[in-house]
Amino acid sequence: MRLKGIRGEGGAVRLVASTGGKGGTGKSTFAVLYALSLSKKGRKVLLCDCDVECPNDHLLLGVKLQKGKFIYRDFPRLNAEKCVRCGLCSKACKENAIFWVKGKPPMIFDELCSGCGACWTVCPQKAIEREKKPVGEIFETRVDRNLWLITGMSKPGISETGPVVRDVKKRALELAEDVGVDILIVDTAPGTHCNVIQALLGCDKAYVVTEPTPLGAHDASLILELLKIMGISSEIVLNKADVGKESVIEEIAESYGVRITVKIPYSEELVRAYSEGRLGRMVNLL
Amino acid sequence: MKIVVASGKGGTGKSMFASSLSLLFSEEKRVVACDCDVDAPNLGLWLGVTSYDIVEPISTSEKAEIDDGKCTGCGRCFENCSFGAIEKADSKFIVNPLLCEGCGVCRIVCPAEAVKIKPVANGEIRIKETVWGFPLVSGQLKPGETGSGKIVQELKKRAERMAHDVMILDAAAGIGCPVISSVTGCDYAVLVAEPTPSGFSDLERILRIVNHFGIPYGIVLNKWDINPDVSRKMMEWSGEKFLGKISYDREVINSIVNLKPVIMSESKVKGEIEDIFSRIRELVSTML
Repeated sequence: MRLKGIRGEGGAVRLVASTGGKGGTGKSTFAVLYALSLSKKGRKVLLCDCDVECPNDHLLLGVKLQKGKFIYRDFPRLNAEKCVRCGLCSKACKENAIFWVKGKPPMIFDELCSGCGACWTVCPQKAIEREKKPVGEIFETRVDRNLWLITGMSKPGISETGPVVRDVKKRALELAEDVGVDILIVDTAPGTHCNVIQALLGCDKAYVVTEPTPLGAHDASLILELLKIMGISSEIVLNKADVGKESVIEEIAESYGVRITVKIPYSEELVRAYSEGRLGRMVNLL
Repeated sequence: MKIVVASGKGGTGKSMFASSLSLLFSEEKRVVACDCDVDAPNLGLWLGVTSYDIVEPISTSEKAEIDDGKCTGCGRCFENCSFGAIEKADSKFIVNPLLCEGCGVCRIVCPAEAVKIKPVANGEIRIKETVWGFPLVSGQLKPGETGSGKIVQELKKRAERMAHDVMILDAAAGIGCPVISSVTGCDYAVLVAEPTPSGFSDLERILRIVNHFGIPYGIVLNKWDINPDVSRKMMEWSGEKFLGKISYDREVINSIVNLKPVIMSESKVKGEIEDIFSRIRELVSTML
């Protein structure tokens, strides 16, 4: 099996992901601290927030997002005059987003539609037209001399967010080329499904951010499994390292043959900096 | 009736709260707990469950396969795929299974009939009769597979078939496909938030989904004392929707390390959660 993703378009830019399976383990905290510490050392860094359903990196950096650029995708719109009520579109739709009763024109439910295009492809009358609808926004922020931030944000109500991540990353790779960054840090959503897979595609390496609890261990093993399937090498970042039971993560690390390379102790100062959107103060933690 | 616990942001305490709510309701009602976070299912752990009575493979997803012998290399599948799942390999085309959603557009456009759409075993359903006297329906999406939203729909169907008065659903983080599947058809939503700019922003985003479906809701503020200023702002913003607040307590972490439900522990959050439960019970009493 050959899995390429979009690395070819990225050329030599190094892509590193911050991921973790479980939510709230500190993926964004690590991604932001990592980006800040490298940029402080004079490296040119692009941070790409691919948690498009709930993007937070800008809030941790304390920057305001300026006007964004919309991302559009095609959705079906029925041209009732051309429709012969054959029902083929409804049969082709795997998302059950097209409801059809014999003899009636079909009804399309946008909130279930993934925008795959099976309906307009199959329609013999070309009665289903494509209509561009915004599915998200891309924001670009120059945080400081060496640090750029790209934020992807899906439109609430959009079900398929994987394609939004794909467009956000494409733009990030363009910008990375334009300004000649040394590293592109990809901050992913929690979980392991399509939006996370899209974010991880083409990454050279992933940091799995987790916490020393049975929950952290369970979810870290799921994302490590995914990374193994994708052939991406990984390291573990243990956040809140001193709260809980470290051995549960050590066991997982051993079974997947990965190392715990970063440990961040629980710190009230870090929690405060996080909750005030001033993570920059904590850059010396890494 | 169905009560969904959601949050947008991950790690705010959804599963902790959903497990508590299930246990408290089970004292007087027939409960079924349903873990709808099939990416990272943790509700079981919060209920002390580490093994299941029933584990069944499930197939809610399909994937395309291109027959190398029949493919003429025309590229129509590549041009029409909305998910970027078709890749060029030498003079022919192959499907990247990680990105394929099984929509079948490639099959429709292929003039050589080289594409087949095949079902994939993409996950598992797991059921456990817990020691607390109510069943837990849980699921797991296989890493690397798609179709989490449809697994959620299956889990809900399974849970629905069990005798119950109250179904407690624990949603995934985010506001996309699996969360929309979890929230659909629920009677009440408990939104668990934390007092940080991220927590606030993500609360507003999940609220857009809950309001879209017109579901009544209430807001719980977890770890409120990590930032009392932001907490105050969020409480004011929540107004009459505010259900109560829960303190930050390291005992909660000890309780999960020992796989012991929080409301069975000595943590000070126990009383706080019980107060919130009373408010929720009062609010939903007319629906029961």
